Amino acid sequence: MVKTPPASLPETETPPFWRKAINYMFDLRFLGVLGQIAFILFVVVSMKALGGNFSKNVNRLGESQFVCRDGSFSYRCAFDFMDSEAGFDVSDTPIDYETTDPYWKVFYIGILNTLKVAFLGVILVTIVGTFAGIARLSKNWLVSNLALWYVELMRNTPLLVQLFFIYFGVLLALPNIDKAKQLLGMPIFLSNRGLNYPSPQLTSSASIWMAFLVLAIIQVQVQGIILNRKEERTGQSTNRLGAGIASFLIIVAIGWFVSVAVSDSQGLLVSKASRIQNLEDIEKNVLKRSGLNGLEELSTLSEEEVSAIALQICALRDSASETNLTAQLRAMNIPYEVTRSGRPDQSIKKYEEGKCEVFVAPKTVIAAERATLENPSAHLVLTVREKPIVWSVPVREGLNINGGTKMFPEFMALLIGLVLFYGGSLAEIVRAGILSVTKGQSEAARALGLNESQRLQLVVMPQALRVIIPPLIGIFLSLAKDTSLGVAIGFPDMYAVSYTMMNQSGRILQIFIIMMLVYMLISLAFSLALNWYNERVKLVER
Amino acid sequence: MMTETTKTTPPSRGTGRKFDWQYFLLENITGSRYQTIWITVLTLFTAFFAVDQFKKAPTLVLVISILWLVGVAMVVVGALFHRQTEVSRWLKDNLLSSVSNTVLSLLLMLGLGMAARGIALWAFINANFNPAETAPEFQTTTGATWGVVWGARKLLLTGRMTPEDSSRVTIALWFIIVMWVLTYITSRPALRDKFKLVYKVLMGLWLFSPVILYVFLAGIANAPYNTSVVLTGLVIFLAIYALFWSQKIARFSWTNLISVAAAWPLIYTVWWAIGRSEIFPLINVDTWGGFMLSLIVASAVVILSMPLGMMLALGRRSEVYGIPSWIVWPVAIGITIWGFVKTTPQLLADSRSSIEMIFAFWPLAVLFLAYMLQRTFSGNVVAGASTAFIELIRSVPLITLLFMGIIMAPFFFDEGISIAKPWPVIVGYTLFSAAYTAEIIRGGLQAIPVGQYEASDSLALNGFQKMRFIILPQAIRIVIPAIVGQFIGAFKSSSLVSIVGLFDLLGIVRAVLSNPQWLGLRREMYVFLAIVYFIGSFVMSSYSRRLEVRLGIGER
Repeated sequence: MVKTPPASLPETETPPFWRKAINYMFDLRFLGVLGQIAFILFVVVSMKALGGNFSKNVNRLGESQFVCRDGSFSYRCAFDFMDSEAGFDVSDTPIDYETTDPYWKVFYIGILNTLKVAFLGVILVTIVGTFAGIARLSKNWLVSNLALWYVELMRNTPLLVQLFFIYFGVLLALPNIDKAKQLLGMPIFLSNRGLNYPSPQLTSSASIWMAFLVLAIIQVQVQGIILNRKEERTGQSTNRLGAGIASFLIIVAIGWFVSVAVSDSQGLLVSKASRIQNLEDIEKNVLKRSGLNGLEELSTLSEEEVSAIALQICALRDSASETNLTAQLRAMNIPYEVTRSGRPDQSIKKYEEGKCEVFVAPKTVIAAERATLENPSAHLVLTVREKPIVWSVPVREGLNINGGTKMFPEFMALLIGLVLFYGGSLAEIVRAGILSVTKGQSEAARALGLNESQRLQLVVMPQALRVIIPPLIGIFLSLAKDTSLGVAIGFPDMYAVSYTMMNQSGRILQIFIIMMLVYMLISLAFSLALNWYNERVKLVER
Repeated sequence: MMTETTKTTPPSRGTGRKFDWQYFLLENITGSRYQTIWITVLTLFTAFFAVDQFKKAPTLVLVISILWLVGVAMVVVGALFHRQTEVSRWLKDNLLSSVSNTVLSLLLMLGLGMAARGIALWAFINANFNPAETAPEFQTTTGATWGVVWGARKLLLTGRMTPEDSSRVTIALWFIIVMWVLTYITSRPALRDKFKLVYKVLMGLWLFSPVILYVFLAGIANAPYNTSVVLTGLVIFLAIYALFWSQKIARFSWTNLISVAAAWPLIYTVWWAIGRSEIFPLINVDTWGGFMLSLIVASAVVILSMPLGMMLALGRRSEVYGIPSWIVWPVAIGITIWGFVKTTPQLLADSRSSIEMIFAFWPLAVLFLAYMLQRTFSGNVVAGASTAFIELIRSVPLITLLFMGIIMAPFFFDEGISIAKPWPVIVGYTLFSAAYTAEIIRGGLQAIPVGQYEASDSLALNGFQKMRFIILPQAIRIVIPAIVGQFIGAFKSSSLVSIVGLFDLLGIVRAVLSNPQWLGLRREMYVFLAIVYFIGSFVMSSYSRRLEVRLGIGER
């Protein structure tokens, strides 16, 4: 069968050129493309006009913000202000900061604060939301109704009102710092100036210990490989986990003692007249002064008497040396009082004036300062051994609490508010996710003899996660963005810091652009990380 | 393994009437190590809590404990004699189903009882309700001072409006209330047919209610008659009509044409006449405040963000023929080369900081944009622009947009133009809300089965017809509950405008609290605020739930 071509092709007239052109003109696709190009041009032109208007308005008030002049040479300087002095104080700083530091540093602090709240918030909200979501489904009528009302309360009141209530109504209504509440008998103090709690501090000998830690990890790996080979060779199982833990602990402990023994960077400046040669001598000294037989009898003395016999220490502010020494003194039950100053020369001056008996600081600092004393040979430098990690413990001292780490009430209020608010939203998501797992799965799990927690962990949750994760990403993103509400209660997050920077420098546009870019980057990073996780969960499921 | 199984297998159960202690213990306490630890900890904690609270409120703790004991006794007796009453069955199912649940119930009852007692003491029993006694010397730490709510009612409702203006607010409020009531009555199924005309008029009034409320609350300026505005509006109305007619979603008839042509001039003339007559003189919008401002911001944002969001959603899903790559690439590369040759050397020479140096390489951004446009959107500028807008807005906090509205907007206008604060805030908020509304509507559009699109294609409907008659009616029905949720969100988040200096409900509360007469009443005011927001949101969300049922979402 061969297709025969038609006898003669129908004669088609090729349309004239102008006809084609007109056809093109009225083609929807052509018009659409034309419209899109016009749109781009419109956007570009209006951006340009707006920008011109903006710089005109900004520059009206003074010299140009964007172009500076250096003699006859003009250059662009829109962002040069970031290097000039910020000149305003920030209450809650994760890194050292002084008002003389440049703008970029204070902005960096803002970013750190935002990230701190966002990360902690994300972790805590996951815990709170999961618990509340499971509680919503509890068989206990009271539990499920309590969770229901928690969710309804959180979902139906604005976050900002909650923040204000937590900050002004609860945290600022706590007792003053001199009457701070001590929680659970531990050195944790809660007052209207925040929460003071003990925190570990790395000392200079920590590096040695860290080396041992690395050694221990390597050792565990090597041991694991060796034992594995042995198992393969002999066919007998060995207790690999136990051996690993044991060798790890042994090496870490050795490292601990070694680093304590070899540490000699911390010095203690004492006068020869005091006859103090080591820490035990301090105890004798104090006992002699008090006329007691032993330090156990200290409790019989009144507060004034104790402070009269206490060891007077000079130290630098926020120094690990002080934490290290006072931790040892506390362990020996020796009373002490600390006088802190910002610079070594101030401390040595106080020491020279006799305001304190000892001056504790790194040896290099002490050596330098001892040389400035009138009669350096009358003073000794003792070595204070230090543990790799010392606990800095908050202690009441007069009207203040020193030591430990302080959590500011603004930070607490923001974190609590965000976690409670988004915990309510997350609870509903978790509940929906759990309910989305069909009943048969639970029944099958029960039939296999799994108990309730196994059923949740192994059967229900992995399947519920598939439903939970996508809206969870939205919740986390909202939480990260809503850290900006900290500005309302005075928490120096990125938005609050930017706002102050704008008022101080007048560089509104530049700071605004940087701020928006950082927010976008944070959102992007969050959503990328969570979407990556989502992909993983999905793959595991299939 | 085997021994363990035999050990934990419960003895056969419930065959006789005898209560099986062994099984009971195994099921409730000794089932696993964790269970035992949990029950021990829980019991100890409950006991300590009860003893601790007994010092504070002995009667309450006693009453709760006795009630609990009675309940437990009822359940135990019922279980032992296999004779459950209705009450004991409910208790057994809901509160006392297992040992841990029983103890937990006691703990929660005690905790709730103490909390309720504390709240009752503070909020009612020790509270002072006298509006005259609110100054700091009358305040106590044990009881609330609720007088402030009544004392500051005017501020809380309308903010700092002058008395002659607030009468108009009252009229507007009554207008809305009457409309609500009438709508509620006439929308009853039984009465709907009888009052068909009233219902129609009401719907028309609702359509125009934003304008009516605007006239009441903001007033109309006495401006000269502007003919060019009339003509421009006329042209725009006619153009839209022509577009609809050409795309066959509006029918052509002379009546339609005349009414479309007459609508704008008529509206404008009425507007102008009212302004001329000065029945509604201008109100200083900056004096708006309180609950009124919160409602205005929330409603304006939702009403404005709805069409904008719909446009963005349709734009993001648009399948317009994109700019072909043979146009994009030459243009982009041309601009890049021009930028590198002409501007970059100069910019590099002028810049002294690293940020400035980075900006000197701006032509790379053009190249990147072109690449994104071609790669992700295949040249479709509409989809690209909508997506970029939505994603950019969604990745920054609302408060930065409000800030942009209020602090930055004046810089973009010419000198001497001053705008009342609420407007730029509403604009910034609307942009934010529109991005989220767009995502909701896009969700609705995606929920429509592909078959609907294909069916309308096979009926040879054009793009406009497909959207207008097939897709949007279904999509909107799906997203209505989400939109109500959006409105609740807007109502709640409208409290953020207080941060940028507006005196909405939260802002006015902060102002009230700085008044010496009401100093230090923070807890009272914030609790009151929470209650107001809670009632508002709760009513709306239960309405949305009812709506969901009525529309049969997820069932059809």
